Amino acid sequence: MSTLHARSPLGYLLALPASLWMLAALVVPTLFIVWVSFWATRTFSLSSPLALVNYAKFFGRSTYVKLLVDTVQQSLLLMAITLVLGYCIAYFIVVKVRRPALQLGLFLVLVIPFWTSALIRTIAWIPFLGVTGVINQALLFLGVIDKPVSAFLYSRTGITLAQVSFYTLLATGPVAYTLRNVPPSLREAAQCLKATPLRVFWRITFPLTLPGVVIGQILVFLNVMADFATASAIGGNKYAFLGNLVILLYDSGQLPCASVIAVLLMLSMLGGVAVLLKMVDIRRLGVA
Amino acid sequence: MIAWRRRQRLATVGLGAVTVLFLAYQWFPMLTMALLSFTGPDGGPTFPMRGVSLHWYRELARVQTVDDFKPPMVRSLLLALTCSVTTAALALMAAQAIRARFRGSNLFFYLVLLGIMAPGLLVGFGVAVVTRILGIPLAWYTTTFAVHIVWTLPFGFLTLLAAFNRFDVRLEEAALTLGANRWRAFWRVTFPLVLPGVIGAGLFGFTLSYDEFARSLFSSGPDQTLPLMIFAQFDRQLQPTLYAIGTVTTVVSLAAVALFSLSFRIVRQRTRTTATEPPR
Repeated sequence: MSTLHARSPLGYLLALPASLWMLAALVVPTLFIVWVSFWATRTFSLSSPLALVNYAKFFGRSTYVKLLVDTVQQSLLLMAITLVLGYCIAYFIVVKVRRPALQLGLFLVLVIPFWTSALIRTIAWIPFLGVTGVINQALLFLGVIDKPVSAFLYSRTGITLAQVSFYTLLATGPVAYTLRNVPPSLREAAQCLKATPLRVFWRITFPLTLPGVVIGQILVFLNVMADFATASAIGGNKYAFLGNLVILLYDSGQLPCASVIAVLLMLSMLGGVAVLLKMVDIRRLGVA
Repeated sequence: MIAWRRRQRLATVGLGAVTVLFLAYQWFPMLTMALLSFTGPDGGPTFPMRGVSLHWYRELARVQTVDDFKPPMVRSLLLALTCSVTTAALALMAAQAIRARFRGSNLFFYLVLLGIMAPGLLVGFGVAVVTRILGIPLAWYTTTFAVHIVWTLPFGFLTLLAAFNRFDVRLEEAALTLGANRWRAFWRVTFPLVLPGVIGAGLFGFTLSYDEFARSLFSSGPDQTLPLMIFAQFDRQLQPTLYAIGTVTTVVSLAAVALFSLSFRIVRQRTRTTATEPPR
């Protein structure tokens, strides 16, 4: 007995507002994007015949295809970096730090930036990256370089530096969560049986945290694929990803072309998530 | 055995160094921005700082023309407050609906969670396309609001599902056995017990909406929200005023988090003490 019968019709009624909202503001718009991507006209026209022209145009232009490759590449790069970095941080905070107060403190310092504006955090990177920026001044001071380098602002390096600082948290969180659920006794048992620490990690700890790793990687992948603000703020006009292309085409009124990019972006995101989920059966591992 | 101990310690030091360095790396830009916002009137957007002053904050308050940050700030705050209340209400209903285990509730669960997975830029783009085709005008208080809820609702929903998971159903049953009707039992027993979750949902609604840029980009029409305004200004010229407004909005975000956390704590403490106190 509860305030709601099982299978009560009231359940439908309570689910209705959220369902309608998601349908109207998310599902229907997505279907519209798919529809518009098949419009054969260049610009806005409701009675446009449907065809594959826009897709042909996309794959016919090497610059567009290269942008798709660049976007995927950047996502893979970020996934690799955040995987290692995120795991180290999660392992330190959850396993190595013993004092709960210190654990909480480190966790808060890690998470608080998530609650602030990503855009502001991007802009905050600018004084670091320029020719007269903090990084250059520090390198000059340390004697690593003898004249300022322009490798940071308006470059992939700069974009990557900023993205690592934004997205590592997404990889850390789920790993920390699964790591917390691994009983220390498992590690201790393996150690008693004379397994080396490295072996304990690869045979016991890592497999048990794999679901967290995969979820973190999915979050990083999705966010980097869709990230355009970092590229346009730090990359200037020199570097762009697929998201930037959607904006460019939309602003120049080419709605069908913008929709094609949007559809391809969504498809590659779905494909990536499907591949990542294939790597581990999350439900099976969750039980083990 | 001793070598093993030493290796273990070495691993701790190494991992600790990585963690601390990353935290510094994560915070350094934000702190630098805050520092540079206090540069003197002749100061530029990078080091060296030229004196210390409140010049750029005064500039922020003074400007009345194109670069006026005040109306967008008010819009963003209003939008965030509305999103906060809406998210809390819709998430509470949605999580309570899941408890009914109606046919299709699994599908409903995934439908709501779709909002987290969907890329913000494309959701905004989709809404812009739909409104264009249907001839609906874009505005921050209609279309942007709708798109923000798509983003904030799943977070609130998950928070409330977690709250309902931890909640002792027997308390509800006791109220019903003692003759309360379902409506009364919900508001007198269930709701106070999941109130921390409702507050959590409200926090997600507020901060996620307040800071949102990608989803607002296509959907907001002529009147800009604060992040849009900041980006437009940034695109034209990087000035220390941007650091000042950046510092101000960061403080607003953090104040919101602190405020919500505080009320979360108070509510939880109160339900705990009243639950254990014998009835008078």
